[in-house]
Amino acid sequence: AVTVSVTPVLAQSASQIVVEGNRRVEADTIRSYFRVGPGERLDAAKIDEALKALYATGLFQDVRITPSGGRIVVSVVENQVLNRVAFEGNRKLKDEQISTEIQSKPRGTFSRALVQSDTQRIVEIYQRSGRYDVRVEPKVIELPNGRVDLVFEVDEGGKTGVAKIVFVGNKAFSDWRLKDVVKTGETNLLSWLKSNDIFDPDRVEVDRDLIRRFYLRSGYADVRVVSAISEYDPSRKGFIITFTIDEGDRYKFGNVDIQSTVRNIDVERLRARLKTKPGGIYNADAVEKSVEDLTIEVSKLGYPFASIRPRGDRDFNARLVNVVYVMEEGQRAYIERINIRGNTRTRDYVIRREFDIVEGDAYNRALVDRAERRIKNLNYFKNVRITNEPGSAPDRVVINVDVEEQATGEFSVSGGYSTADGFVGEVSVGERNLLGRGHVARASLTYGTRTRGFELSFVEPYLMGQRLALGVDVFGKETTSSSYYSYTSSTVGGSLKLGIPITDNFSIQPRYTAYRQEIKLDQAYNNCNNINPNSAAGYYPTPQFQGITDPATGQPFTFNCYQDGEASLAVRRELANGPVFVSSVGSTFSFNTLDNNKNPTNGLIVTLNEDFAGVGGDVNYSKTTLDTRLYNEILPDVVGSIRIQGGYATGWGGSDLRMLDHFQGGPNLVRGFQTAGWGPRDITPGTNQDALGGSMYWAVNLEVQTPLFFAPKDFGMKIAFFADAGQLSDYKGPTSWAERGLVMTCPNQAINTTNPMANVPCYGDENLVRSSVGVGLIWASPFGPLRFDLAYPITYADYDKKQIFRFGGGTKF
Amino acid sequence: CSSLGSLFGDKDDDLGPDLPADKLYNEGVFLLNEKGSPKEAVKKFEEVDRQHPYSDWARKSLLMTAYSYYETQQYEDAIGAAKRYVSMHPGSPDVAYAQYLIGASYYDQIPDVTRDQTRTERAIQSLEEVIRKYPTSEYAAQARKKIEVGRDHLAAKEMTVARYYMEKKNFIGAINRFKVVVTQYQTTRHVEEALMRLTECYMMLGIVAEAQTAAAVLGHNFPDSPWYKDAYNLVRGGGLEPSENKGSWISRAFKKVGLG
Amino acid sequence: CITQTYQRGYIVPEGALEQIPLGASQEQVLIVLGTPSTVATVSGEVFYYISQRAEQTSFLPQTEVDRRVIAVYFDRNKKVERLANYGIKDGRIFDFVSRSTPTTGQELNYVSYLFKALKWF
Repeated sequence: AVTVSVTPVLAQSASQIVVEGNRRVEADTIRSYFRVGPGERLDAAKIDEALKALYATGLFQDVRITPSGGRIVVSVVENQVLNRVAFEGNRKLKDEQISTEIQSKPRGTFSRALVQSDTQRIVEIYQRSGRYDVRVEPKVIELPNGRVDLVFEVDEGGKTGVAKIVFVGNKAFSDWRLKDVVKTGETNLLSWLKSNDIFDPDRVEVDRDLIRRFYLRSGYADVRVVSAISEYDPSRKGFIITFTIDEGDRYKFGNVDIQSTVRNIDVERLRARLKTKPGGIYNADAVEKSVEDLTIEVSKLGYPFASIRPRGDRDFNARLVNVVYVMEEGQRAYIERINIRGNTRTRDYVIRREFDIVEGDAYNRALVDRAERRIKNLNYFKNVRITNEPGSAPDRVVINVDVEEQATGEFSVSGGYSTADGFVGEVSVGERNLLGRGHVARASLTYGTRTRGFELSFVEPYLMGQRLALGVDVFGKETTSSSYYSYTSSTVGGSLKLGIPITDNFSIQPRYTAYRQEIKLDQAYNNCNNINPNSAAGYYPTPQFQGITDPATGQPFTFNCYQDGEASLAVRRELANGPVFVSSVGSTFSFNTLDNNKNPTNGLIVTLNEDFAGVGGDVNYSKTTLDTRLYNEILPDVVGSIRIQGGYATGWGGSDLRMLDHFQGGPNLVRGFQTAGWGPRDITPGTNQDALGGSMYWAVNLEVQTPLFFAPKDFGMKIAFFADAGQLSDYKGPTSWAERGLVMTCPNQAINTTNPMANVPCYGDENLVRSSVGVGLIWASPFGPLRFDLAYPITYADYDKKQIFRFGGGTKF
Repeated sequence: CSSLGSLFGDKDDDLGPDLPADKLYNEGVFLLNEKGSPKEAVKKFEEVDRQHPYSDWARKSLLMTAYSYYETQQYEDAIGAAKRYVSMHPGSPDVAYAQYLIGASYYDQIPDVTRDQTRTERAIQSLEEVIRKYPTSEYAAQARKKIEVGRDHLAAKEMTVARYYMEKKNFIGAINRFKVVVTQYQTTRHVEEALMRLTECYMMLGIVAEAQTAAAVLGHNFPDSPWYKDAYNLVRGGGLEPSENKGSWISRAFKKVGLG
Repeated sequence: CITQTYQRGYIVPEGALEQIPLGASQEQVLIVLGTPSTVATVSGEVFYYISQRAEQTSFLPQTEVDRRVIAVYFDRNKKVERLANYGIKDGRIFDFVSRSTPTTGQELNYVSYLFKALKWF
């Protein structure tokens, strides 16, 4: 209870102010609040002002100013001093988390009002983390000499999650689909990993809008989310959220027109910019996007002040929406200043360069929105807010960009297992905003059963201030010999890449790559020699020539080189050539209209790679590969995809294609086979039968992915049915080796045992289309994406190496 | 009511009986100066403030707490403690130093010019407070020096953005920003370069009269500045003598400050 | 490749210049042309309205193709005395001085950066 009493006071000078009741605060401190110079009059206004100031300090419980005998007596009762502030019963939230949020601090002043607001604050923090039946009791313990201890006793209560989400009135889209649209999740087995299943009323409101916008995107112009009711169900210890939706009819675009009152604007040219085509399904986002594109286009033509408003009028029975874009001369305003604030780490120009418009240019809402989107896409900031303030003149605008930085460093350890590469672990450190200059740097180290390697990469997204990305990579990779490849290959090198965006979805990436490649073969796989076999030198003849005498022992050979295994002669010739230095220029042309790069449902992505090696270096080849993927949502939630791949490689300048530069047939082309499991192969009986690869290939993969309807939504399980077919042909590498007297032979071929080079080279090269069908299980598990595939090859060569089960996945933590 | 230490059972309470304030305070000072471990000293000073909230020692230790935090670059805590001192003891002799400490804490966190300058602005505000409230204190002079560096820093920020726009040939943005430096930051070193840049911009635009005026004002006020040589060669290169038009806003801006 | 043209700076409204006869008042100019891009006063006041047209082909830097500076000269009693129009040809071409005044402030260097970055994990 704060009592205030100010009685009319005689004019007094400052020196007659007497202070009573103060213990901690000095008397002249209190006097200083009376702001009265020596000899100045002390009238009621000054006293009132002093009274307010004294209370504002928060030091006093009660202040009373009364005149007595020509002097003014200020009697105060000080707030007690808080000795200690403690919390009890808080398990989910730690002491520090709470103490930073409340105002009562140790050694600060104790005031009842403050304690009340702190109690409320603690309840709020708990509600925000999903605990609604929390109770907080403040306890005050008096201590000697005016000190007080404050204890907040907290009873956290159970965690209130979301038991069930129910949709009513949704005919067009299944509950399954709508649960994907809303952010709130249901509590189930995996809830201890996720946090989106905690009941949060504001998130339910956000969900309501998400549903409305989702329907507006899919043609339901009249959609209304009638209600979003959450009732607490004590039996299930969670909330039941019911969204009632009135979908209305599905509309198509009727006629689409542009009306302009701005003189000499060529309306026809603008029509091409429109995303809303007559007859197409009504889509609110497309209308918004069209407005933005129109505004940008018109401002480029010199009319930045033209304001564009879409007007849609419905034709109910024909279920058509006729859209008219109305263009009028808007208010002329110029940008006076662009202030960038809050960038405690990112440099000013890294943000400023995202603006297409600069100080002095005409203010254009669409371009400002685009800049805001671009700054958000930088992913350097927790949140980005652009606000306008009136400038120094009526037609001047000041744009304020307020950003809040977030940690852009990444340190991740990830592990994975795939039947192709065995166990692979990776440690990587990355920074998306190095030194605040917008550079991206990353270093990673991978170690696995079959592969070891490192990679350092640096990207400057704005070369010389242009929207041109420069990437520099240094990499080293070693794949050890395995059942797939009998040789160990290690490459160390680097590359320089330029990323040039031509349009929003077409970009070119010219690059220069240089690397040194070396293969190693343990001696046992490389000891065949029919010309001058010599056991002392470790060279033995092939079985057919085992009869000839061994110069070291004078007896016929007792051991032939196939007995300890032998790599294909093609591999051994590569080894004989020693390490090679490859220096190549190339480029990637990519066209991408996918709606979502992680798991696309619609759109097309085409990537054409061209690599031309022989710009210096010891190897001359030209390699071209094409990879086209088309996604389409044939049924709601059911995504069909067609993938067409092709490749052609050839040597040039007289040198033929090295064996290592051939394409290998593996599960990446047709599933159901091992890595390098199909295609031309050296099938000389007794050798390791290494794959040789081909210089030309094509492959087609058809796949349909559909969610597992019976499994709960949050499990994120999908099942895929697929069919692959492909062909790899035209092996151009060596098939015989005169120095060693070796020729590739086929199993039932008559071997000329007198002159080894007289045999006709023969290798497995049935020009046969391999094909397979299969089923896959895709699980977006909380640990990371996992995929299990069962693929049955239908047409294959008998020497192909099949692999029915394939598993790949990895996790990042 | 008896001490309820057992109820809480955490270590904080079993410090034994309250130690006399001056002993604690001196231990703190000893730790700070001789032992050079401000972190320990802060603990001692906080003890004084906690056990003897009404003594003059508490006031002194609050100030020393702020100073110790400042020494260990814990600027946020230093500012917190110093602000509490200023609001609790506005009349005390050391309040000028406390206010100065607030300014100095912000000042030491000033980042380079390409980043957010809120700390620079806060430093200038709190240091101006020192000069306004305690003009006679010995900290006023130090505060003035730091303000000068702070303002120079804000001018430098304007210059970096102006140069950014100049390189992109956005003359309106560039010229208006250089003008801000010339009119609001005349007492900083950047004004010379700003005048030269204005000469460059106006020459680029072909408005030679303005270029001449900017170069002339630069020459008049900073005759031996390297920037004036550049401006002079530039204007001479255009075959024209830099002549100052008294009426130009630049010369008028300088008259106001008595430099022109 | 596709070349885009951009209007930079001030946009000259249709037929605006005809509405500013010699002797017109400063308010008249402000109403018709709006606030000037930048103000410079030479013997009385001068309003400069700077507009530029730039072109950019995909990723190449933007190049200035045309520039117009409308200068409105006022006499002592702020009446329009003279109108001038500077085109891109009047501009002098030269390189800016690359030197810049040194600045202070905590430069973010690698060591402190790494230390700060690690603290955030």
